[in-house]
Amino acid sequence: MSTDAIAVLGFVVLFALMLLRVPVGMAMGLVGVTGYAWIVGPGPALKLVGQTSMRTVTDYTFGVIPMFMLMGALVSVSGVSRELFKAANSMIGHLRGGLGVATVLACGGFAAICGSSVATAATFSAVAYPEMRRFNYPQSFSTGVIAAGGTLGAILPPSTVLAVYAILTQQDIGKLFMAGIVPGILAMAMYVMTIAIIVRVRPDWLPAGQLRPWAERLADLKNVWAPLVLFVFVIGGLYGGFFTPTEAGGVGASGAFILGLLRRKLDGPKIREALLSATRTAAAVFTVLIGALLFGYFLTITQSPQKLTEFLTSLGIGRYGVLALIMLMYLVLGCLMDAMAMIILTVPIIFPVIVHLGFDPIWFGVIIVMTVELGLIHPPVGMNVFVIKSVVKDVSFTTIFKGVLPFILTDILRLVILIAFPIIALWLPTKMG
Amino acid sequence: QDKPVNLKMSSWVPAQHPLNPSLQAWADDIKKASNGTITATLFPSEQLGKAFDHYDMARDGIADFAYINPGYQPGRFPIMAGASLPFLFANGKGGSAAIDEWYRSYAAKEMKDVKFCFAFVHDPGTFHARKKITLPTDIKGMKIRPATSTIGQMVTSLGGTNVQASAPESRDMLERGVADAITFPWGSIGLFGIDKVVSYHMDVPLYVTPFVWAMNQSKYDSMSPAQKKVIDDHCTSEWAEKVATPWADFEFAGRAKIAGQAGHEIYKLTPEQLDAWRKATAPGEAQWAEGVKKVSQDPKAVMDALKASLAKNKSAL
Amino acid sequence: MNDAAAPTRPRVGVMDRMINSIEWLAAMFVGIVALNIFLAVVLRKFFNTSIPDSYDFGRMLLGILIFWGIAATSYRGGHITVDLVWTAAGPRMKRWIDVFATLVLLFVVAVQTAMLFDKVRGTYVDNVLTYDMNIPTWPFYAVAWLGDVSAVVLIAIRTYRLIFHPELLEETKPEMKADE
Ligand code: NA
Ligand code: NA
Repeated sequence: MSTDAIAVLGFVVLFALMLLRVPVGMAMGLVGVTGYAWIVGPGPALKLVGQTSMRTVTDYTFGVIPMFMLMGALVSVSGVSRELFKAANSMIGHLRGGLGVATVLACGGFAAICGSSVATAATFSAVAYPEMRRFNYPQSFSTGVIAAGGTLGAILPPSTVLAVYAILTQQDIGKLFMAGIVPGILAMAMYVMTIAIIVRVRPDWLPAGQLRPWAERLADLKNVWAPLVLFVFVIGGLYGGFFTPTEAGGVGASGAFILGLLRRKLDGPKIREALLSATRTAAAVFTVLIGALLFGYFLTITQSPQKLTEFLTSLGIGRYGVLALIMLMYLVLGCLMDAMAMIILTVPIIFPVIVHLGFDPIWFGVIIVMTVELGLIHPPVGMNVFVIKSVVKDVSFTTIFKGVLPFILTDILRLVILIAFPIIALWLPTKMG
Repeated sequence: QDKPVNLKMSSWVPAQHPLNPSLQAWADDIKKASNGTITATLFPSEQLGKAFDHYDMARDGIADFAYINPGYQPGRFPIMAGASLPFLFANGKGGSAAIDEWYRSYAAKEMKDVKFCFAFVHDPGTFHARKKITLPTDIKGMKIRPATSTIGQMVTSLGGTNVQASAPESRDMLERGVADAITFPWGSIGLFGIDKVVSYHMDVPLYVTPFVWAMNQSKYDSMSPAQKKVIDDHCTSEWAEKVATPWADFEFAGRAKIAGQAGHEIYKLTPEQLDAWRKATAPGEAQWAEGVKKVSQDPKAVMDALKASLAKNKSAL
Repeated sequence: MNDAAAPTRPRVGVMDRMINSIEWLAAMFVGIVALNIFLAVVLRKFFNTSIPDSYDFGRMLLGILIFWGIAATSYRGGHITVDLVWTAAGPRMKRWIDVFATLVLLFVVAVQTAMLFDKVRGTYVDNVLTYDMNIPTWPFYAVAWLGDVSAVVLIAIRTYRLIFHPELLEETKPEMKADE
């Protein structure tokens, strides 16, 4: 059997195993090692398992992943999302569609200290959904705006997916985080505009909320100081060069812990819950990382990444044609998998193509994270949609997907804008020096 | 007719590093000498495994040839660690021939799990700092990114703090003040953009990093006698120097490049200052000697042999 | 991760207490890693000094935390999976898929654990030391390896329960799954 055929067979078996619900990382590891054993020999293949597993889990730069996860988990259990939503709602909830806009703003604020889009969606399903329903917002819109707002968690820094992309492609995590800020703000602005258009088209759909006295509104606004301090401290510290990304994560987690204690928002069970949740998610992600490395060594031996690059450039469809093809592939994969698995599985194969075509690796990181995040909200499978469904029990998948549709359209428009004007993503990181 | 063999050669430096074309040229010469029966594929940039694992990769057959930095695993290769002690090597080319001639006799024991091919060094590196370092006492209170664990221990013993970072991260560390100084060979300073963030360069061959190019033993054993001879003919001190030369030239040229830029101060040490450094770093050699004794070798004999080999190859400091 | 308090789960027997302790151990290590980084930064910024070997400690603690975390995650079904076919399948098919997937998981983690033992042994035999203080590194690797051993045990329990007592298993909810 030729190495090309073995590589193709590897992919087929990999997808079969994954569809049979074998954990993504384990499936990649199993196929990778088996394929490697086939080509190189079983002895080296088995040694590769021990070596790769141990090296990956003891790699200091990977420490950034559990640290930002811990920070996100600690702010989640501290009730920061409720405070953010309350403040945003106080300020603009009395306008038509204002509760929706408040949800987007609060999601953005929360995203600035939490690196996970799933956590953002989960949190606001509990916080913002009941409020929107109380004012008779339709179920579809209420869940749709939360699903879309949740994706801000991975686009605005800190972002676990962006950090993993940076590690896989040996790019500067700090620069990638900076690159996410302006596109993240653009995403928020476009979501707000989407809501404004919905209000125009269906004025009766999103009724106004309650107008509150100014004293109360200002009091609510004052409560956002804690997340603001944490954001400025962590992202400012990273931008200004006071710490490395791993340190920023560790210091951010410690900061979230100290702030939570000082504000009496943390107790034993909550701390326990945050620690456990960070451990679980970190372990799940590292499993995929190890599997992807093993699968990657197998692909390296078959030299398929080089062959893919040659193939794609020989198509004669130009660099933007290839880019469009790649993004289409991500949208199709997004029907099956979630963001982290997609990034870890595909970036090692796709990245050489992108570099070969002369695209900026930092810019591509932002583009690709936005594309895979789109996979979290588009049908038939979407992690954010699942999460909302598990919190809001009495809503159907169809209803959520219906509500999220206008936001999917804006997401696609935003991607087009960012591809046409890479400067939107690259301006801030170049200022970093 | 010999069975055709394809060798997987693994190097962890990035594709554009000057070492890669050298290794490729070495492999091309093997192909010619073996009448095309031995071919090789070079995998740069950690494509087959992480830098730290390259010795194990050659041992386990994950790579057939691997580029090893023995210093990545302190304690594992105590004799080789002697070559990373400060103020020994004056240059990279003769130094490569010297370290190869010296280490060849110890390799059979210290690197018994692999087939040792040759050892080499890069052109000596030194301190590149944000503030001037002339005497060992200047190290006190400084945060330094050391090149090797030996240099790291030297920094600690002089009252400095070690900051660990990969080579690409180093520039950021220096720019952000996480580190005040770095030990690096000259050419790499420009390669990683560190010349933009440091301005003082101590002009002395402070240290070298020893490297080994090693082969998987069973791959070697599986070859025909004629093929083995081709490999043996390419695992010599001459080849060590030949492979190391383009990199050494690159690093050496880096000094002139930095000297040509505005805003950089490159300063020599007086004999008295150099003497102060040698005295201050002597405890490091004593500590190394302890490690060598543990593997039942005579540290003095080992060190004398290294110095003799350096003198013979005109690369003693 | 949820603002609403997590529902308390029913716990039964020795197995569950063991699973709980393993999860707790892993969780403690996350906290220790954060503390180690925090202290290293504070010492460097304000006292211009460092904990010797904090880098090596940090990365080895990370290894411990991940392998112990994998143990907990594997038991709770918290791995990242593709659920498309599973969601569409009927209850009987669902169980078959679950049993198959868990058996593959058990096999893969068992092989991994065996090969990790080889790696830990290598670290001991080859006398690999830490960077600053030259402390042997193998004990850290051994503790990490024990995490993977407990993963094998827990997955074996999971497989047993899945086949004979499916009612005793509680699955991880989606919001506790992948962190994206
Ligand atoms: Na975020
Ligand atoms: Na999807």
